[in-house]
Amino acid sequence: MNEGKPAVSPAFRIASIAILAALTTVLTRVVQIPLPARGYINLGDVAIVFTAITLGPFSAALAGGLGTALADLLSGPYAFWAPISLVVHGLQGLLIGLIALVRPRNLVFQVLGGIVGMAIMAAGYLLAGVFIEGAGPALTEVPGNLIQGAAGVVLGILVSAAVIRAYPPVRQWKW
Amino acid sequence: MIVEFYRPGESVLHRLDPRPKMLFLGVVLAAFFIPSAPWVLLVLTAAIAAAIVVTLGPSQLVPPLKTLWPILLLITVLTPPFHRDGVPLVRLFQVTLLTSDGLNTTLVLLLRFLGITLGFFAVVRTVALDDMVLSLRWFRLPYAACLVITITLRTIPSLASTWHNVVDAHRLRSGIPGSRRRPRIVETYLPVLTSVLIESVKGIPVLAMALESRGFGRRNARTAFAELKKGRPFVRDMLVLAAAAAALLWPIFLT
Repeated sequence: MNEGKPAVSPAFRIASIAILAALTTVLTRVVQIPLPARGYINLGDVAIVFTAITLGPFSAALAGGLGTALADLLSGPYAFWAPISLVVHGLQGLLIGLIALVRPRNLVFQVLGGIVGMAIMAAGYLLAGVFIEGAGPALTEVPGNLIQGAAGVVLGILVSAAVIRAYPPVRQWKW
Repeated sequence: MIVEFYRPGESVLHRLDPRPKMLFLGVVLAAFFIPSAPWVLLVLTAAIAAAIVVTLGPSQLVPPLKTLWPILLLITVLTPPFHRDGVPLVRLFQVTLLTSDGLNTTLVLLLRFLGITLGFFAVVRTVALDDMVLSLRWFRLPYAACLVITITLRTIPSLASTWHNVVDAHRLRSGIPGSRRRPRIVETYLPVLTSVLIESVKGIPVLAMALESRGFGRRNARTAFAELKKGRPFVRDMLVLAAAAAALLWPIFLT
């Protein structure tokens, strides 16, 4: 199969969004890393940063938004965060991808995109939290979101470079 | 990994059509954001909790409350300092701890948070994800979007299994991820993540070929084996939930 050609076909787009959304859900729900201080972070942001850098802004927006929304929906008590996650993480993936696309393979733009995406994610959850829980509780969640976002940026950039090196056809799948 | 929060059952909530249930949830959510007195939100929240207790059983209320109590505590403690207008109600050493405005806002936020959570809980507990996707299709979500959601739901278990297999493989080769007291995140998770991501992206062209071979992209008429209710049962459920929405929401328009 010509691995460059499918990047433009609708079936390829459907397949890439579905698999990367499933990956985002798995990394959000299954993988929980304990923090030295207290609490846990998940690796959902790693999947979003990886998708944005490797497969482009639109894959990241759709897969990141859908993947995190499904993770919330499957969690039960936090299901009401699903529409918020869909928008916030979708926007995060889109912005990271667009900024990284300005200078592809340039680490500075990848980091810049990651930081902007992390800020958008923290601000989005803060804004939604203010309406749902009030300003006090919403503010307490900001540090955790920033730590998780930062871990996502670092691991996402590293893993993106590693995957492109180990499996070069993925370079042609950006859209 | 539990891929679905849905629990099969024969309760009234289970038997209701998912489409009116999702519409009802949207109306109730909107109601929680309309400025209204705390007692109105209390009536709404109590009605949702009562529906869960009566139809699903009292034990079903325990998991959401167990998960949510830290957030409810945070709302109770942290909201009053942000709202200091109104009549002082609690003072300690000349410092006002709680005002009438603070109490009012705290109650509104607590009931809103609890009501929204229980509303979503009742829906995701009683609607199978496949029925949710069919309902979204009925709400005119494009076919491609519904297909993506369906494939994603089918792919999650195999990817979760891939993750665990890769973790086990790396555990045999080097240390155990997360076994140290202070795990080194990058060193521990980078090899596992890289392997899982390569395995995942390799599946994309295979899935694309499978979709194309099954006719995705052609203009043939599609067949569907799963269907939601049609005709009289659907209309009956719509009317029942419209009446329930009207009964629950009238206090909002009175206040």
